[in-house]
Amino acid sequence: MVSGQVKVITKNGIHLRLASDLVKAANSFRSEIWITKDSQEVNAKSILGVAGLGAELGAELFIKVEGDDEEEALEYLVTLVESDFTKGAQ
Amino acid sequence: MEGNKAENREAIFNGIPASPGIAHGEAFVVNVENIPATPEKVPEAKIEAEVQRFETALKETGEELDKIHKQLEEEMGVEHAKILDSHRMILTDEVARKDTLKLITKDKYNAAYAFTTVINKVITTFQHIEDEYLRERAADIQDVKRRVVRNLLGQKVEGLSNLRKKAIVVAKDLTPSDTAIMKKKYVLAFVTDIGGSTSHAAIIARSLGIPAVVGLESLSHNVKPYDKLIVDGITGQVVLHPTGETVGMFEEAQERFREMEKELLTLRDYPAVTLDGHTIELSGNIETADEVEDVVSHGAKGVGLFRTEYFFITRKNLPSEEQQYRYYSRVVKELAPDPVLIRTLDVGGDKIARWASTSSPEANPFMGWRGIRFTLSRKDIFRTQLRAIFRASAHGNVRVMFPMISVMDEVLEAKEICEEVKADLKNERYQMGDNIEIGIMIETPSAVAIADKLAKKVDFFSIGTNDLIQYSLAVDRGNSRISYLYNDLHPSILRFIRDTVTAAHKNGIWVGICGEMPGSVYGALLSLGFELDEFSASAYLIPEIKKIIRSVTLDETKMLVKKAIKLSTATEVKQLLEAYIENKRPELREFIPEAVK
Repeated sequence: MVSGQVKVITKNGIHLRLASDLVKAANSFRSEIWITKDSQEVNAKSILGVAGLGAELGAELFIKVEGDDEEEALEYLVTLVESDFTKGAQ
Repeated sequence: MEGNKAENREAIFNGIPASPGIAHGEAFVVNVENIPATPEKVPEAKIEAEVQRFETALKETGEELDKIHKQLEEEMGVEHAKILDSHRMILTDEVARKDTLKLITKDKYNAAYAFTTVINKVITTFQHIEDEYLRERAADIQDVKRRVVRNLLGQKVEGLSNLRKKAIVVAKDLTPSDTAIMKKKYVLAFVTDIGGSTSHAAIIARSLGIPAVVGLESLSHNVKPYDKLIVDGITGQVVLHPTGETVGMFEEAQERFREMEKELLTLRDYPAVTLDGHTIELSGNIETADEVEDVVSHGAKGVGLFRTEYFFITRKNLPSEEQQYRYYSRVVKELAPDPVLIRTLDVGGDKIARWASTSSPEANPFMGWRGIRFTLSRKDIFRTQLRAIFRASAHGNVRVMFPMISVMDEVLEAKEICEEVKADLKNERYQMGDNIEIGIMIETPSAVAIADKLAKKVDFFSIGTNDLIQYSLAVDRGNSRISYLYNDLHPSILRFIRDTVTAAHKNGIWVGICGEMPGSVYGALLSLGFELDEFSASAYLIPEIKKIIRSVTLDETKMLVKKAIKLSTATEVKQLLEAYIENKRPELREFIPEAVK
């Protein structure tokens, strides 16, 4: 299992559309992926979970990945959030 | 019986102004009511069929969304259509699907109820989201739920796609997929029962440049299709069945608004300076961080009143220091190096927060436990807020102000707490701004009376005219029998303002005004003449105030004040100002309010 932390730099936070980008990305990996914000943990492959986090500008997200492509998945997702959703997503 | 006539009597509804402008037309009422899904037990033999029905409903809803997606892409472009991707994803969310299937197969619930239960649980988690913008996205999820349930129950969607001629769209609430299918050219304005200034209807309205009023509570139940409506997105007023006279009034207001919009563009980058070269610090009042954009686009310099209570009263729990710090910082950073004047929590009065609700309602809340009285007795809340404000000061130019000061002790105690908080933060190695000014609101007659003493203890005053008038004239604005007494031109108010300014300037501090007073032409002229150093008003009033400032000389207005102060009634003051405009500055005539209030 690998894990990492990332800060949301998107002005309006991870709203529904960006959440769907993130979920799409998560679903392209085989690993199980969880995201935690303020002790609330959700499945990163569920849009309802991710959008329900209410990850606002400045929020700290803790990403946990477990599976055979965990390294790749973690890096991809962290980059996606860190780049204000400009890098990573197709 | 008068019949129809009585039914169509003019009625006024007040909501939250969400997008400026004025519209007049017929209502198009959108039926987006929630369909309740009642729990039913499905017999064992029919479980398989129920699962199948659920899968079919998901498929049908998916096709519906695809259709809307296509329509949206053609009309608004690929970027805008992307919002439908997330709707599609909610629909195919594996977690939600599995949970629903479990409720059907294990607990034997009908599909509509099972899906509703699962989605409602998600929506509950949304209600805990601190960020208003993110929280209001729950509407998109509601929307998907509604579609699926409708398909399960075999109901037809009656939506905005049926809009075929120009109309004012009336709805309980509007979601992206509602607005996606509407023909933009037919929408004159939006009015909705629920929602805040960042709800979807508000955002879409602003981007389309059409007026919107939200938070009208029960309006959609009172309006029938084709009813005549006037929507004033500036004041938040909606008039149902307006009389010819009212229509005329609003048409004039609409014309003025258009002209002002034009001027707004031309005035935005000019300073607020009188013809004889006297500069006024003109800043905006805000209630939420999202309004910063409006302040900037309307040509104000900084924020002269940041009402922090809205951040507190819109949530269930007290916001943490971190949450407040991030929230204040956002505003401070966006406006730096222009100042942001943050007023500490002013709950009580008409704004009782859920977490502060006292065991029994106060008999006289406006004279009760509010403003600085509240924060000084809840020092935990006060300290947390001050810590957040002082930390945010590292990112720009912050001023701190205490509301509802009526005695000196409050100022001294609040300042002492500020010093303690600053010392703590320093020890904890936090960055802070260098010269954080600390000031007070002047909004009680007692504060005016001891203004010379108070001025020695603070860096600035800001006169809150709304409450000062209410307390001075002993008039409750909400009481229609006596509201005629509420008048910012009353000589008593003018004398109070003069005394406050004199006390401030004698002691070398600056003094501003932040009520509604500078927003009217009379109030603006007098505020100038009083030599107030700063005016702060709602963003949409800024262009008008700037125009007034730039059309007169300071000397003229000082003369006006000198004369006004000697008069004995508000009517005489008004006549004096009217005569001045007519004779000296006729170009300001357009700002004189209608005779009808």
